[in-house]
Amino acid sequence: MKHPHPNHWRGLEEWEDPTSVREQAETEFIDTPLRIGAEPGRRDFLKATGFLVAASSFTACSRPPEEKALPPVVQLEGDVPGKSYRYATVCGACPSACGIVAKVRDGRPIKLEGNPAHPLTRGGLCATGQASILSLYDSHRVQLPRSAGKESSWDEADSRIAEALSAARQNSGAVRVLSSTLTSPTLLRQIASFVSAFPDGKHVVADPVSASAILDAHERTHGVRRLPHYQLGKAEVVASFDADFLGSWIATTEFTRGYTESRLAEQAPRKAAWHTQVEARYTVSGGKADERIKVAPWEVSATLEHLVAKLASLSGKAFVPGSAAPAADVMAAIDRLAQRLWNARGKSLVLYGANEIAGQQLANFANELLGNYGSTLDLSLPSLQRQGSDRDLAQLLAEVAGGKVAVLFVLGMNPVADLPLSDATRQAFERIPMLVTLAPREDETAAIAKIHCPDSDPFESWGDAEPVAGLVSVQQPLILPLDKSRPALESFAKWAGKPASAYELVQAHWRESIHPRAASAVPFETFWHKALHDGFAEVKSNLPVAGAFATGAVTPLGKQAAATAMLQLYVKPGMLDGALAYNPWLQELPDPVTKATWDNYASISPAKAKELGVKNGDIVRVAVGDTALELPALVQAGQHDALVAVALGYGRKISARFQDFGPKWIDHRATTGANGLVGVNAASLLSMEGNTLSYLRPGVTLATTGKRQALAVTQSHHTLSVPENLDPGGPPRPIVQEVYLSEPETFPAHDPEDVPELWPPDHPYPGHRWGMAIDLDACTGCSACVVACQIENNVPVVGKDEVMRKREMHWIRIDRYYSGDVENPSSAHQPMLCQHCENAPCETVCPVLATVHSSEGLSQQVYNRCIGTRYCANNCPYKVRRFNWFNYPREDKLANLLLNPDVTVRSRGVMEKCSFCIQRIQEAKISAKQEGRELKDGDVVTACQQSCPANAIVFGDMNNPESKVSKWVKNPRRYRVLEEINVRPSVHYLKIVKRSGEKPGEEHHG
Amino acid sequence: MADAGAFVRPPLITGDKSIAQVTQDVSAPMERRPGLLWWVAFLISVALLALGALAIGYQIATGVGTWGLNTSVGWAFDITNFVFWIGIGHAGTLISAILFLFRQRWRTSVNRAAEAMTLFAVMCAGIFPLIHLGRPWMAYWIFPYPNTRGSLWMNFRSPLAWDAFAVSTYFIISATFWYIGLIPDLATIRDRAKPGFRRTLLSIFSLGWDGSFRTWQRYETTYMLLAGLATPLVVSVHTIVSWDFATSVIPGWHTTIFPPYFVAGAIFSGMAMVLTLMIIARKVMNLEDYITHRHVDVMCKLIILNSSIVGLAYMTEFFTAFYSGNTYEQFTFINRAFGPMAWTYWVMLSCNVFIPLLLWIKRVRMSLPMVFVISLFINVGMWFERFVIIVTSLHRDYLPANWTSYTPTSVEVATLLGSFGLFFTLFLLFCRLLPIIAMAEVKGVIGHERAHHHKKAAMGHNAVRTVQESGAEVLQ
Repeated sequence: MKHPHPNHWRGLEEWEDPTSVREQAETEFIDTPLRIGAEPGRRDFLKATGFLVAASSFTACSRPPEEKALPPVVQLEGDVPGKSYRYATVCGACPSACGIVAKVRDGRPIKLEGNPAHPLTRGGLCATGQASILSLYDSHRVQLPRSAGKESSWDEADSRIAEALSAARQNSGAVRVLSSTLTSPTLLRQIASFVSAFPDGKHVVADPVSASAILDAHERTHGVRRLPHYQLGKAEVVASFDADFLGSWIATTEFTRGYTESRLAEQAPRKAAWHTQVEARYTVSGGKADERIKVAPWEVSATLEHLVAKLASLSGKAFVPGSAAPAADVMAAIDRLAQRLWNARGKSLVLYGANEIAGQQLANFANELLGNYGSTLDLSLPSLQRQGSDRDLAQLLAEVAGGKVAVLFVLGMNPVADLPLSDATRQAFERIPMLVTLAPREDETAAIAKIHCPDSDPFESWGDAEPVAGLVSVQQPLILPLDKSRPALESFAKWAGKPASAYELVQAHWRESIHPRAASAVPFETFWHKALHDGFAEVKSNLPVAGAFATGAVTPLGKQAAATAMLQLYVKPGMLDGALAYNPWLQELPDPVTKATWDNYASISPAKAKELGVKNGDIVRVAVGDTALELPALVQAGQHDALVAVALGYGRKISARFQDFGPKWIDHRATTGANGLVGVNAASLLSMEGNTLSYLRPGVTLATTGKRQALAVTQSHHTLSVPENLDPGGPPRPIVQEVYLSEPETFPAHDPEDVPELWPPDHPYPGHRWGMAIDLDACTGCSACVVACQIENNVPVVGKDEVMRKREMHWIRIDRYYSGDVENPSSAHQPMLCQHCENAPCETVCPVLATVHSSEGLSQQVYNRCIGTRYCANNCPYKVRRFNWFNYPREDKLANLLLNPDVTVRSRGVMEKCSFCIQRIQEAKISAKQEGRELKDGDVVTACQQSCPANAIVFGDMNNPESKVSKWVKNPRRYRVLEEINVRPSVHYLKIVKRSGEKPGEEHHG
Repeated sequence: MADAGAFVRPPLITGDKSIAQVTQDVSAPMERRPGLLWWVAFLISVALLALGALAIGYQIATGVGTWGLNTSVGWAFDITNFVFWIGIGHAGTLISAILFLFRQRWRTSVNRAAEAMTLFAVMCAGIFPLIHLGRPWMAYWIFPYPNTRGSLWMNFRSPLAWDAFAVSTYFIISATFWYIGLIPDLATIRDRAKPGFRRTLLSIFSLGWDGSFRTWQRYETTYMLLAGLATPLVVSVHTIVSWDFATSVIPGWHTTIFPPYFVAGAIFSGMAMVLTLMIIARKVMNLEDYITHRHVDVMCKLIILNSSIVGLAYMTEFFTAFYSGNTYEQFTFINRAFGPMAWTYWVMLSCNVFIPLLLWIKRVRMSLPMVFVISLFINVGMWFERFVIIVTSLHRDYLPANWTSYTPTSVEVATLLGSFGLFFTLFLLFCRLLPIIAMAEVKGVIGHERAHHHKKAAMGHNAVRTVQESGAEVLQ
């Protein structure tokens, strides 16, 4: 058949055979290896196979990264990438529930600060609180519920728990919730309603560091089981009997702020500030006290009793002490103290630290005699920060031991590690049919729990807090949960059969119970939003009124047999009860008193050490009864010879992660001890006798073992006096200076700016001139600033070995110097950071100009210019420069989310040091510029200053005569460290105020 | 007059050598296979060098943290070794330049080896400022060079920058001076060498030396000028090194006495090292006629002088501290002598001041084993001097809270051993490959003696002439 000719044709070929041309045109640009339509040949098959094999192996080479985060297509209103936002919330690190402001940057909370508006802490935040943000970015958190040690799902966990609960309901089995003090009213109500649904349900509150005796004592004396709200700010004379209220006792941040404000020497009229500490252990408070009375550990309560007797006689009442009178010099001191307290009636405070009811009743009596209830102790709006009941705990342990508990939920506690469980009790815990822990990490209790339902981090979930009755806060989430954990609030709602989100639960509770307590009638939405914004709301208390003091409740102490030696278990500031033992910042934080890191130890007095022939780091065997622990010894000046003190909170399973910590090299030594953990858990030495958790144990014996375990102590020399055999004579170095209140108008006005100079000043400082002033009289050494700075400035944690090599990286450190008698010294704490010298010795010697002076008075370190000669560090008279000896590992990707994006992460081989938080200066300048205004005083707050619970640090522009720092610099107490070498530091110190004694002699400082 | 002097002074070269014998004696070690002793020494040196290289490689890969330094003690072995080796070099320059200008003709037997020692010591020294850096790969930033980093320059106020200039200048001048001095001898061994690679190489490096009067004249002029250039370096290099410490604010470092004290110390340690090396070399390489008791005696006297200066400096430091009334300064020195690191101070004092007192006794100076042992002690003592200055000042300075201690790590010790390995490897290679004694100059000394013994005194004996004479004789 002849092809029909097309109507329109492109060429002769098409005109002749249009079909073939079309076919050609169709296949002309096809370059597939397989001919379409044609039957595939052998070669095509092989080509295709080859391609598929190659292509599939290529695609298998790498998995595309799992991307869950989506960029906000519609950006949140007002949300600017790279800008920090601050949200008020609640600190979850301990039951103090301080108000905090979390700095959120690009959707991630990266720094916590105290909430300056919060009525309790007013801006301070302790080291523990600062460090607690790491818990959010902890890659060792339990990601999913676990059932019998294996990963499970929430559905499975919930259904198993529901089975156990329904069985308990039917069999009237005991359902118990064991928690530490919970300050969240919503959670408390949730648990209460949960346990009330069972025939035998109970919520047991117990604290590893118990203050149960204080509550019990008030139940006896005032008829209400409450913890008074101690108001140190109103107290002028404080007598503390072994209560380390500046270090670790209850709410130290709040106490520190009140204490330092009350003692401020510059206020008019000046208060009769006085602090006496009676103790056997050497505590932060003891070192700070105006008078420290060292007594044997068993004499503390007797001393209190004799004080009570004196006070009673002053008030015309009769009280005959039952205990033997302490030594004559102690009695004389007690007489003076009683008089001081008496003179400051209603403005004084007697604190008693030990967890024993009889002693606490005496303290209550003393405060009652002094009329302190209602002024310095508030029982109508009590503190809710310790609610634990040792009696309930003892009962629970008995029930567990008796196999009576069917279901036990554990929340905020780690009973296996926190409590002195006998082997039988421990096994009984394992036999509980349904033991559920809500711990966020794999702790000792989780190891024996049937089901592990991880609680969310406080920054991931809604919650609330009422640390002091009438002061409520909302805890708002700052980030979506990073894993599949579930807030305890939601878990209990689910198990109660009424699932709801934490947000709904909190809001509902606030609507029903909190809002009606509001002082003024505002709509709920307004109330809620204001509380969210401010971080707190003040409401009326719903507690019944406390009864009058029942004098009959106070009974004299019995005669106490003098023990030969006593063990005291205490908690370190920072580490506290060990719940944060996973936290490298806290592990590496030097203890304010001993300056030891990464370990607990048996603290003994110098005389005792001499008697035993042990030095720091010699392992001793501490035995009480059948229980014994082997710990390195640490010789502590000022401690009573009859006392051995061991810190709790160590030897935790969650510290096992530090086995491999620190830079690796041939001489590297492990950070953990022989047990693979940091320190040794001393909880087994606690006693639970008489329904009271006792931290003081008589009959302790010490024995040497001949073994050694070096301690990582950051400061090897402890006084300003040089060793006697090397002393050139003359006064001690004037590094920490003191001024006596007895001195007329303090000290000669010496203005160092008058020092004659040969040359005109190098640095004119036309704009700002940044400077800092630190009040040494206020500083307690609590070390909150150290951790705050470490987090703000991405300062690495280096591990025990590096600390032992004296290479810790803290940009601000606290030098602690003892003064006075080694038997009973007082201590001075001196925060030491880059002094930003005007004539900086470091700046001239750097060959590559890696450290230069700014026109605003900052000594700046240029990391990427630094080649690491370390000449600057050698030439620094303060030795505040820190060298990156290694590339410190930053392998934990999750933890890296916490890095401050405004601060460079330094690499190996460069020098670093305090920058006066230059990123904060820049941030404040930019905001001021955007708002079209001048920078004003208080716009720039450094991390250390912000965190300081004692308000001991001010920072600002010294060119502005009205700035706070300029005013502090004009204070007659002002001096500069090493003024005589004329480096002209920009950091000024205010001298310590000595409230007792006379100036010892001309020019005798430190 | 001159004749009378010749009778009083013993001859510089004993054994009544002829000029040809000198060439023969000095060239012999280069022209025969090395002996067993050389091989043993060489292998030990190379092994130490390898150990050091390993340590340095590990340290650069891992970080300066592999050393025992800490926040307070930022320098220890590194800068101690640096100053020690730089100091060693100074004797070489003193002998070759200053003694040349002062016409101290006994120097001819030792100057070549001393200069070689200078070069190798400076090489060893140069390693340490480089590897002590946190980021050694950025070391070139210390030099002023045009760069694209804006107006970023180096810091001309920093003594470390001065150091870099001083040491690099020192190395360049010393190497040039040494090489220029070598040219006539290279020509001599070139002429003795069989045709082949070695001869070609020697031809290149002897720069076509022909021994003509004009060549000699230019050579002598150049040599004299270079000696003049090198002379200030003897004083300047260690002065500048001492400024690393003197310009600081650290008690024990901040001392104006440091420049003369360091220069004297440098020459002291260098002389000791020259003696150590020469006493071995004369024995091993049969050069007893060239390096005589007289040489040793003269060098011992120089050591006595410098030991006294150093001892005086030690006392002056203590006096200054006492007289200053500065409690930090006073403490630093008391701490040096009686503190936890006092043993290093007493090692230093014993080795540098007490033991060299023995050299006042002529019998001791004449006993080579005694001198050798004393020279070793001085080497140790001078190393400790720098260690004492650096570490004892840093470990306890102003704030007692900063007080630390210092213990070296294995890596640091290996690096120190490695620097000795490098030094001795280079020196042993030098002994094998180049004339260890400046033949041309020694021949001048023989000629000098002969001029007194056999020729008319009226001939005169200035350096140019005598060397020219001997040079002419070499070619005969």
